[in-house]
Amino acid sequence: MTSQLPDISERLDHIVSGLPALAPELVLIAAFVASILTGLFVDRLWRHATFTVALIGITLSAVCSSFQLAAPDADGVLFGMVATDVFSQYMRILIAIVGLLFACFVQASPDFGAHRKKTGDLYPILLAVQIGLNLMALASNWLLTFIAIEMVSIGSYLMVGYLAKDSRQTEAAMKYVLFGAVCSAVMLYGMSLLYGFTGNLDYTSAQHIQGLTGASPLLVTIALLFVFTGIGFKLTFVPFHFWTPDVYQGAPTPVTAFLSTAPKIAGIALLANILYAWPPDSFAYQHLRLLLVAAAAVTMLWGNLAALRQTDVKRMMAYSSIGHTGFLMMAVLAYSAQDHTILLYYLAVYSLMNMGVFMLTGYIESRTGAVDVRQYHGLGRAMPLALVCFTLIMISLTGIPPTSGFVAKLLVFTAVFHDWQTTGDIGMVVLLIVGALTTVISLFFYFKIPLHAFLKTAESPSEIKPLRHSILWLAVLLTVAVWLLGVFPDWLVG
Amino acid sequence: MNPHLLTILIFLPLVAATAMFVVPAGKRNAYKYIALATGVLQLVLSGGMYYLFHPKGAGISQERLYQFVDHVPWIRLDMGNLGRLEIDYFIGVDGLSMPLLFLSALVMVIAIGASWNVQKSAKGYFVLLMILDMAVMGVFSALDFFLFYIFYELMLLPLYFLIGIWGGARREYAAIKFFLYTLFGSVFMLLIIVGLYFSVTNPETGAHTFNMLHMMDPANYVPGSFFSALAKQELFGIPARLLGFIVLFIAFAIKVPIVPLHTWLPDAHVEAPTPISIILAGILLKVGGYGILRICFSIFPDAAMQSAWWLGLIGVVSIIYGALVALAQRDLKRMIAYSSVSHMGFVLLGVASFTTEGTAGALFQMISHGFLSAALFFLVGMLYDRVHDRGIYHFRGLATLMPRYTVFVAIAFFASLGLPGFSAFIGEVFVIIGAFNAESANGLLPRWMAIAGSVGILLSAAYFLWTLQRMFFGQPRLKGGTVWSEALTDASPRETVIMVPMLVLALALGVYPALALDKINASVLALVELVTK
Repeated sequence: MTSQLPDISERLDHIVSGLPALAPELVLIAAFVASILTGLFVDRLWRHATFTVALIGITLSAVCSSFQLAAPDADGVLFGMVATDVFSQYMRILIAIVGLLFACFVQASPDFGAHRKKTGDLYPILLAVQIGLNLMALASNWLLTFIAIEMVSIGSYLMVGYLAKDSRQTEAAMKYVLFGAVCSAVMLYGMSLLYGFTGNLDYTSAQHIQGLTGASPLLVTIALLFVFTGIGFKLTFVPFHFWTPDVYQGAPTPVTAFLSTAPKIAGIALLANILYAWPPDSFAYQHLRLLLVAAAAVTMLWGNLAALRQTDVKRMMAYSSIGHTGFLMMAVLAYSAQDHTILLYYLAVYSLMNMGVFMLTGYIESRTGAVDVRQYHGLGRAMPLALVCFTLIMISLTGIPPTSGFVAKLLVFTAVFHDWQTTGDIGMVVLLIVGALTTVISLFFYFKIPLHAFLKTAESPSEIKPLRHSILWLAVLLTVAVWLLGVFPDWLVG
Repeated sequence: MNPHLLTILIFLPLVAATAMFVVPAGKRNAYKYIALATGVLQLVLSGGMYYLFHPKGAGISQERLYQFVDHVPWIRLDMGNLGRLEIDYFIGVDGLSMPLLFLSALVMVIAIGASWNVQKSAKGYFVLLMILDMAVMGVFSALDFFLFYIFYELMLLPLYFLIGIWGGARREYAAIKFFLYTLFGSVFMLLIIVGLYFSVTNPETGAHTFNMLHMMDPANYVPGSFFSALAKQELFGIPARLLGFIVLFIAFAIKVPIVPLHTWLPDAHVEAPTPISIILAGILLKVGGYGILRICFSIFPDAAMQSAWWLGLIGVVSIIYGALVALAQRDLKRMIAYSSVSHMGFVLLGVASFTTEGTAGALFQMISHGFLSAALFFLVGMLYDRVHDRGIYHFRGLATLMPRYTVFVAIAFFASLGLPGFSAFIGEVFVIIGAFNAESANGLLPRWMAIAGSVGILLSAAYFLWTLQRMFFGQPRLKGGTVWSEALTDASPRETVIMVPMLVLALALGVYPALALDKINASVLALVELVTK
């Protein structure tokens, strides 16, 4: 035995020594197991048991990550498969916050409460997805990336189809699974090509970069395209966005909120990690950059233009999130490895806004049944607080001062301009102009909400069902945060 | 004297808006009294500041010459290799902004007076009006570009809702059109702000800055930076500084508005409720002119000089085109809206001359147009309130039905068309003198532009007098018959109280223009020197 594996004890030591760096994931795994057990046995006695376990688990993992902020980077954890730098710690915390918001949203959502499956099984799925998301943000190895993405995907499929109330939801889940599976397969194929070129799966290693430089440019481009099919699927940039509107519209609202936020954060982290692992003068980097500049510009335009035609609120927000993906990609392109303030700020603000919007959408839908903007007529009078908050968040999403959405946009513009000044890349100017133009376009559809809610009056007063206000107050809190962070951005960044 | 007088002036409406939130929705009347109290308090405050304002305080590019300055650090963001983001809460007034601040306070009081009968959700209405009030005061005081931009954009939101909820039949269309036009201009302005930020450093700290005054001094530009005059950078074949000037100019020109970017204005004016029309014409259009002087000219003087001929041409086209279109209108409010386009053209012609007379005239014209257009829109609103119609051909012989109202209209019309003795005359004459002298003084504008400007005055006399004749003289004949003639009662005491001060002010400034010119003179001189040196 020892002759076959001469260094097994050293290897084990290495793995064990790296475990503290993965404490947040370990906590999540423990919570995952615990939540399955409580779901099976304790929920009958106290119906909030699983919810509580999930909350505690996610909070603890966030606390663990924040402890690691102070600690120096752990090098070569799990044989260099995982890179834990400050950036990924922040990402973990952000993902945890989104997970917490999602859990609260689910708990308050009447759809889930009334469903015969209850929520007991949803929280373990959430915890598993959280692990996957964390790994996506941490991975520095193609294989681990693939596993993380798959983990997130499989969990997401289950979430989308969790309620399966009507055929539309089932269709959404089915579409999601099919597209997801194809994209994963293509990505895996691309990774195998990359492995063939370089003989190494760690994309930060010198061997990998050298291998890419040595291989035929055409083949490398094809391989990268394949890999980015998978990442693009998670990030929903054009042309891999086509599944989003249907899935976002069909999925239960809390799930849509989660899917349009958390996987995007992790995906952007992954993109940033890949892009900045490679030296700027390498062929692969330049090629990838060109692809991403084009994708970012097209994504911004397409997302915002397509949103103009939508009348279903969730579908419209799906396109809006595609537009924001383009903006985030622009931020990634302009971001440099030492400095992640801008990207983090944008991601944090985007998460708050997006979760807030979907909470309000869900709240309004459960109270009035309105899913289309035309059904929002006169709601401004009937539910003033909800619609005022909705409008305030829309203002922030458009990027009008004095909101945090504006500051985030300004910071991204600043970074892109600076990047253009230092590199002279004309693509950055194009991005700046497209970014500014789409801001104007986005006003048009974001303001459909206040237009229909406040400016138009209802022909017949709509029936309003009573509902607990917990979710509304959470949304109010998010709105206040979005505005305060706009006036005092130092509170977040300082 | 309280050192934070200006801050109090800006944020007083915010306090009022918060107070309105607390008052229960049942007390409908409380809102308008809170609003009126705030407006009057602001008027007294700004009047006091106007009185205290020292005429030697030129301001423009020197902080020590600004008055009522508040300068505290606001946002300090460390952004790694992008350096530290330095944003200050920096406000102050000089001769450019002081009269406009007073004007804004005055117009606000008039607008609140005109909103006395608002029934539809009074709480929301007055809260939005107060936020608008705050934003307007902020725009005229901000000296940090970031702060300026925030107030500038903040004006849009309340206006969108005020037009969109309380407006006329096509209010949704007008509201979004107005919003889109302005946002289109300002988003690109944001890009220029970012560019300026990277080009300019604060000489004291060495960090990049949004301070407008630092942007006006060529010594603060980083060598080789995008907007540095010496670096001569280009983008798409256009010199960077010219590009920056054009983008900023378009952003403000949409507000002024100039032909051909004016098409939002008739829609917004016609659909907006009377008080909002008053604010739009009285204050919002001035923001455009103010922005051109304070920002475009002061930060990009070289590009401004280079574009003088085009600016003058745009001014002349606006004057003539606005007047001709006004002549063809059948709706009284639309006619007045187009007359605004024509009168604001004088502002552009005046500033394009780059002479002291022209610039002072432009500023004077802005002030004069501010309360004259407010008066005109208020008069239209009085008519509309009574019979819900504004068609010029639907009325005849109003003079016999509403004698006092007719007197007001006649005075306002004569004042607006530039009759000597009223304020508009002074403004327009100064502008034309400036434009006429430009050929000999600096050779920037040809003489025919001044002559074309005078033709504009002639045309404005034509449409005002013709309208007076069509609507007010002759035998009373109304489209609505006896129902209308009963509804058309003469001006009420409230309306008289609002109208009289405005007309008196028009006369006072016309007879004794030094009231305003004394305060603005030093700043105009400093500005012209900064631009032409």
